[in-house]
Amino acid sequence: MALGLCPALAVTTRVVNGLGIGAALTFVLVSSNVIIALLRDVIPERGRLTSYIAVIASLVTVVDLTMQAYTPRLSEQLGIYVPLLAVNCLILGRSQAFARRSEGGHTVLDSLGIGLGFTVSLTVISLVREVLGAGSITLFPMGNFSGIVKIPVLSDSPARIMVLAAGAFLVTGYLKALFNWTRMHQPRSAQPSQERAV
Amino acid sequence: MTIARTFPRGGIHPEEHKEVTRKRHIWNAAIPSHCIVPLLQHAGAPAEATVKRGDRVREGMLIGRATGSISAHVHSPIPGVVTELRDLFLPSGVRSTAVVIRLEGEFDRLGKAPQRHEWAKLSRRELLGLIQEHGVVGMGGASFPTHLKYRLPRGRECTHLILNGCESEPYLSGEHRLMVEHPEEIVEGLQIAAAILRPDHVAVGIENNKPDAIAAVQRLVKERGLDVRVYPLKVKYPQGDEKQLVRAVMGEEIPSGGSPIDVGAVVSNVSTVMALFEAVCLRKPVIERVVTVSGDAVANPANLKVRIGTTIGELIQECGGLVKEAERIVCGGPMMGATITDLSTPVTKDTSAVLALTAAEVHAGEETPCIQCGRCVRSCPMGLEPTLLYKLIDHREYAASVENGLADCVECGCCSYSCPARIPLVEGMRSGKQVARTEGLLP
Amino acid sequence: MSTGSRSAPVTVASSPQFFDSAHTRRIMWTVSAVLTPAAAWGVYVFGIHAFFVLFASIIAAVIGEGVMARILNRRTLRDGSAVLTGLMVGMTMPPAVPVYIPVVASLFAIIVVKWTFGGLGSNWMNPALAGRVFVYFSWTPAMTGWTMPSTLPQADAVSGASMLGLIKQGLSGTGGHVGSPLRFLRDAGFPVSTTDTAVTDWLNQHVLHALGFSIPGGYVDPFLGNIPGSIGEVSAALLLLGTVVLLARRIITWEIPASYFLSFALLTWVFGGARYGTGLFGGDILFQLFTGGFILGAFYMATDTVTTPLTSAGMLIYGGGAGILTFLIRFYGAVPEGVALAIILMNVFTPLINRYTRPGRYGLSEGRR
Repeated sequence: MALGLCPALAVTTRVVNGLGIGAALTFVLVSSNVIIALLRDVIPERGRLTSYIAVIASLVTVVDLTMQAYTPRLSEQLGIYVPLLAVNCLILGRSQAFARRSEGGHTVLDSLGIGLGFTVSLTVISLVREVLGAGSITLFPMGNFSGIVKIPVLSDSPARIMVLAAGAFLVTGYLKALFNWTRMHQPRSAQPSQERAV
Repeated sequence: MTIARTFPRGGIHPEEHKEVTRKRHIWNAAIPSHCIVPLLQHAGAPAEATVKRGDRVREGMLIGRATGSISAHVHSPIPGVVTELRDLFLPSGVRSTAVVIRLEGEFDRLGKAPQRHEWAKLSRRELLGLIQEHGVVGMGGASFPTHLKYRLPRGRECTHLILNGCESEPYLSGEHRLMVEHPEEIVEGLQIAAAILRPDHVAVGIENNKPDAIAAVQRLVKERGLDVRVYPLKVKYPQGDEKQLVRAVMGEEIPSGGSPIDVGAVVSNVSTVMALFEAVCLRKPVIERVVTVSGDAVANPANLKVRIGTTIGELIQECGGLVKEAERIVCGGPMMGATITDLSTPVTKDTSAVLALTAAEVHAGEETPCIQCGRCVRSCPMGLEPTLLYKLIDHREYAASVENGLADCVECGCCSYSCPARIPLVEGMRSGKQVARTEGLLP
Repeated sequence: MSTGSRSAPVTVASSPQFFDSAHTRRIMWTVSAVLTPAAAWGVYVFGIHAFFVLFASIIAAVIGEGVMARILNRRTLRDGSAVLTGLMVGMTMPPAVPVYIPVVASLFAIIVVKWTFGGLGSNWMNPALAGRVFVYFSWTPAMTGWTMPSTLPQADAVSGASMLGLIKQGLSGTGGHVGSPLRFLRDAGFPVSTTDTAVTDWLNQHVLHALGFSIPGGYVDPFLGNIPGSIGEVSAALLLLGTVVLLARRIITWEIPASYFLSFALLTWVFGGARYGTGLFGGDILFQLFTGGFILGAFYMATDTVTTPLTSAGMLIYGGGAGILTFLIRFYGAVPEGVALAIILMNVFTPLINRYTRPGRYGLSEGRR
């Protein structure tokens, strides 16, 4: 359930970062899984891992260059974590577990779902961290709107530790605890029987 | 002046509460009108009744015969008539049948001049036979039949015979008074034990808070020119536990899971050795013992010589009754004794004390979570970690608790005593051992 | 025969049948009581706002505790641990700090450090110190603004700074040549109270002269508590008195205070001077001891039983390690006071220390399992 959260700690200091990396990951996830699913009969067993990495890395490069071109400030913020998506356990893990066994259509849905979940959770973490730690909410600039929403009281003296590593662990931990708690209190039938992502 | 020896690990220094009783002479308790004599007063199988309802019995007559491989005889403490065979609960929680005798008729020993018997020419076999015949068991708490203990396992030799004069439990002072008032009998009993066991060394361990007892024994030993070494020991509970006593006196530790004979030691209590003397020299069976009646709730704390089968209620009455509210009534010492609710519980061969404790003496409190203070670890004489063992047992990890030394716990109570969170550590250990036994993890 | 006419039934219990008088509740309340004089001194020299800070942190801790106990359905009998945590948090706050900061620190201490991990006895870090560190890194400017005590004369040149802070600045400014800390502070304009001068002179004339040496002025102020600092840490005298009480009542044992003090003092003496530019074996132990909350930390926070090892040997290692870390942070680290961080770091090592300092078992030949 907690696969692929490594970027979470580093980048979730602004809401827009969470959205951005979530989008990047989703794109890579969907496209790489579709390609791998389509090629599953062609890729030999022995060269499996290498080919997967090749596919994923190429797609990551595409995303990275696109972001550098069209959203340079975001790309700068995310820094090395976009290229690092190439070795993100989530992407590799899903391709291993799912993509190579299924058809294109199923893979798309599966990947979209996972990507969406990842984006949502990272955005939530970023939201909490940025609000408490910087007193603002940063979104994409549009027209006159600079993208930064300042929160009245908190922005004067935010709790800076929240945007540091300790804050990341705290928020992630409590979020997970919240999930566990709601899961414990759900009626049996509503609990999912399959493996869920994020 | 020898430096007092002690054991290296753990131990506690509770308040002694012996000031009053240690100075008073032992007095004879009144003979009760009825004696309730359980047939199980020892480790092993209960004795089998040799009398039935309506039978007449004499003082000192056999009323229960030892059965099975580990057992002991039981004798009637008073002359009279058997009124019933009753089932009751002993303070330990174990059930036993008891012979109830109504006082009637003439005493054979009480009030008569005792007849002394020579024993120097008796063989080991004959001495052991006398001990068995007169129902002598260990009177320091474990109640193991003495004739079996002294009949050493094949191939084992006794190098050290140690007389346990420590009495390190608070409140208790019966053995202290015995050593001061009857040193000759005790020393002679010790000689009898030595004749049976033939040790290389005979030692006596007495805690430093009994200087008069130490002096009395030392003087007597010197007078008779005996090769007995008296060791004054530092006052620290549980010095009287055989494992710690062996460690202090001999400097050796009994291997885990073993008994004193594994290092060549035989440890016997003062009361037991006294009973040895009475059995061999006076041919008197175990029908009475010294009991310390104490606690703030009792009017006149004292040491009494009590007939087995006297009820605890009668003893308390004899000491003036309860003048304050007793929060608990304990059979035995405060560290290892058991609480009772029924004052008609009888005194048995292993009842060393009867305590009526007030709430102020007990200092009970409500249980809080463990604050990891480490006092239990630092006070455990066996080097265990009670906080860890308790948590393991709480989480049903019995195998892990055995691995961490659960079997070595002697239930001395040092850990629970020291625990500021009032966590029932000893209780936890006991229940853990019980489950471990049923699961085959412990013998 | 029954138990006769009684007003209450007797207790049936497993052995042992009596206990040492120490109890969790009494321990907590005693420590709180012992800390109060030092806290009161802080209010006296720093003003009424200090009182509000203390009040806020205690109330926040108690409310936090109450809420968590209700949620988790645990009856945390008023065992005094929440009040103690709140008081300790308050005592480590600078006196002029805005009230929401100690509130956050207390809540963090109680809710995150204590209850998230299982409540009393399960925290893996000292809650009060963790709370302090949390707010220190969150609101650093507010947490490093100090007030001069009312018992010292005015000195605008150094208002707002702490003694260790000035020295740390001086170290980087002078490239490592601060010299004797007291003299450096004097030169920088740090005032000395008249009490200090009077007492120092008296001591020098009547007591120390006979022993053959004299002390410079400036030690008495930190000892009495006439220096800037956190509310509860300044009065070394009152805190030391409290430590004696705690030791006498066996609430704390000697191992941690002794080993913490010795390792820190030794390192300070040997290397502290070298760091400040006065050479080896010339460190100023007393100065380091009386400033920067060392006594509060080493004798009250570091001795918290939950986060420290169980055995004597373990506690000595823990104290020694904390002393080393405090020395390193204070003399070489980025922050001027090292005690809080050192203790928290050592807390994390406690389980490891426990594993390697298990008591030797009776009757086993290798001693330890």
